This record gives sequence, C-alpha cells and structure tokens, in this order.
Amino acid sequence: MKTVLVNCSPKKRFSASAYLAALQSFFLKGKKVTKNLRSKKDYTPVFEQLKDADSLVLCLPLYADGPPSHVSAFLEEAELFFLKNNLHPNLYCIANNGFIEGRQNEALMQVMENFCHRAGINWCGGVGIGGGVMLNITRIVFVIQTAIFFIQYIIGIIQTGLFLNTGLLYAFLQNAGLLLFFNSGVLFFLIRMGSAVNKCSVSGKHYTRILLPSFIFILIANIFFTLLSLFQGGLFRGWLKKK
Amino acid sequence: MKVILHDLDWQYSQRLLTKCDAIVEADGKYAPCKGCFGCWVKHPAECFIKDKLQTACRILGRADQLVIITKNLYGTYSTKIKNVMDRTIGTSTPLCVYRQREMHHTLRYGKHALLKVLVYGDITEREKATFIYMVKRNAVNDGYNKSEVLFFHSAAEAERAV
Repeated sequence: MKTVLVNCSPKKRFSASAYLAALQSFFLKGKKVTKNLRSKKDYTPVFEQLKDADSLVLCLPLYADGPPSHVSAFLEEAELFFLKNNLHPNLYCIANNGFIEGRQNEALMQVMENFCHRAGINWCGGVGIGGGVMLNITRIVFVIQTAIFFIQYIIGIIQTGLFLNTGLLYAFLQNAGLLLFFNSGVLFFLIRMGSAVNKCSVSGKHYTRILLPSFIFILIANIFFTLLSLFQGGLFRGWLKKK
Repeated sequence: MKVILHDLDWQYSQRLLTKCDAIVEADGKYAPCKGCFGCWVKHPAECFIKDKLQTACRILGRADQLVIITKNLYGTYSTKIKNVMDRTIGTSTPLCVYRQREMHHTLRYGKHALLKVLVYGDITEREKATFIYMVKRNAVNDGYNKSEVLFFHSAAEAERAV
C-alpha cells in the first residue's frame, strides 16, 4: 500500500501543514511519500508518485475560507491527470486554519469533495483543525524546551555530579504534558484517520482544535500578532489604519 | 463605492466600468499568496510582492458593494479570483475578535453592505450548495451585512446581470 502526503503550504519552513503531514505520516503503514506543493514545478513530482498510489493525503492551510489559489490551480491539473490516466485513489484532507474553530474548514472540505466527484476519485473525508498556527508553535516550543532541559541537565551534572535531577525532570515532563494536551484532539483524529487510510476506508469529516478556551486563544493570538508587528515594524506603519 | 472583481476577458472591463466605481481584473498575471502575514505585520495593507495586486486590498476594502464575477471551480471561486482574495487579506487587521460567535479578524475598513457573487459555467447542484455556503462564510469573515449568489450558464449572462 502506498500513500502520498502532499504539504500544500506555500511556506518553505515551519509550516503547520508540514507539521500535520509529518504527524499523519507517523500513523500510516506501508510506503509513505511526502511531497511539497508550492508552485507549478512541483506538479510533476507529485503526479509521478500518484501513478501507483492507493491514497492521497492533502495537508493544506485555509485561505479566505477555501483552498489557497495555488492549490486550486493544482486541483484543476490533478482532475485532468486522474481522468486521463484512469486513476481512482482515495483522497483524505487535513485542513488547518488560524482561527480557533476547526469547523471553519467546512467550506474547504466541501470543495475537496466536489473535486473528487469531478476527478472520479474517492472522497474519504478529512480533519479540519482550528488553531493551526498555534499548534505549529507548540512543536517549536517543545523543541526549545527539550534543548533547554538538556543544557540544564548537563550543567547540573557538572555542578553537582548527580545524574538524576528529579525537580528538573518533573518540570520538563509537566511542560511536555501540557503541550501534548493542547495537541491531543488533533492526535486523536489523525490516529483515527490514519487507521482509515491504512484500511483504505472512509474516515468522514471531523473537526477539532487546539485544546484551549477560545477567549484565551484570542488573547494569545492578539499578543502574538502585536509582538510580531512590533518586531517587523508594522506597528509603526499605520498598523490598524485605513490605507 | 461599488467595486467589481471579475475573471472575464479584458473587453468586458470597458462595459463593466460604466456600472461601478472601480474594477479589479483577475487576469492571473500575478503571483499567489506566500502566507507571510507581511500585509498585516510588516507593511499594513500592502503585499511584499510587487505586482498589480500589491495594494489591491485598498480597493476591495473600500467597497460598500463588492460584485464578484467568477467561473465555477468545484463550488468555489476560479483560481484567478481566489488568488486575488488570498492576496487581499490586508482588508482586515491581524487582531481578532468574536463575530457571529466565531473568531475573525477585525476589519481595517469597517463593515460593508453587500457581497454579490455571479457564478458562471458548468455547475452541479452539490457545487451550488457549496458556493452558497462559501459566500456566506466570506460575508461573515469580511464583514458584509448581506450576501447574494446567482448562477448563470455563460460569462455574458453574468456580465449582463451586474
């Protein structure tokens, strides 16, 4: 069995779609191939892989309530490709949006289903994820936390000669557990969809989010964008003004 | 201010210009969005890509009535139109609020009156339903008080309906 995962984010690094594709890949059996889709030059490598694939998993961000335009362009070409080659793989979709509500991906899911009908391939459902940007940040925070933990651990050994620092380990595990909790809804539905991909069965549409109350999420998002605008300079260039 | 965004041939623009205050031609001669948020956090309401869409959000943002003429593509906008929509999120700001009990960005240019979408080309009943839902979602997201979707067989019919 072969599954092709396509990371449709236009970002070259640190995209939420790449993170979700990697997570989904972890729960898949058989041959797995991950490809990026950022421009037209990426079509051929993706189509080459799709020739003998059983399933296609599209991981994409939500732009203005639908698929990004470079994905729309790809879908048009993909429709012709599937019809011309008489291919009928299963399509699964992992959509993420910056807002907290995963359900805001519903219109995109419907577009994907319509695409499948036109292209003669099997719509098998997807997972719509709210708070994609913040989920992506949690993995970066986890890497930083882990690095800090090891640095502190090594310094501790040098200073005290003790190899087991329970206080440090407890603090690290507590933080890691919290990040895992934020991601747990996504993990649950990706495991479930991974199982469906492995069985070549229908997964259905499901919506989840980063597990935070929405008012806290909005507060954090506003602080995040304010700081980002401060460092990028937008705050001083008529940040909220009509232009 | 009435603004028309369309993906028709350039000849249509001459006629459509008599029916509105501004036109944005979605001719596809521009790059897709790179998802950098620069139009929010670096140069507000301005895209870093220097092509015809660099400041297009300033036109769409000022529309009281926005009329979109688009070919159907799986129950959503054509790639050319969607490209314009992706590149003009500078009509909103990076800050977020609740709107209709959901999280959305605050509006740089305030609320708008009407989002009217004229869809042409081959379309199934399922795609029609998706399009109606899509436009409702866009209206909430972009702060339009009212939205309307009409379907036509040809581009000429859609143009006449403006």
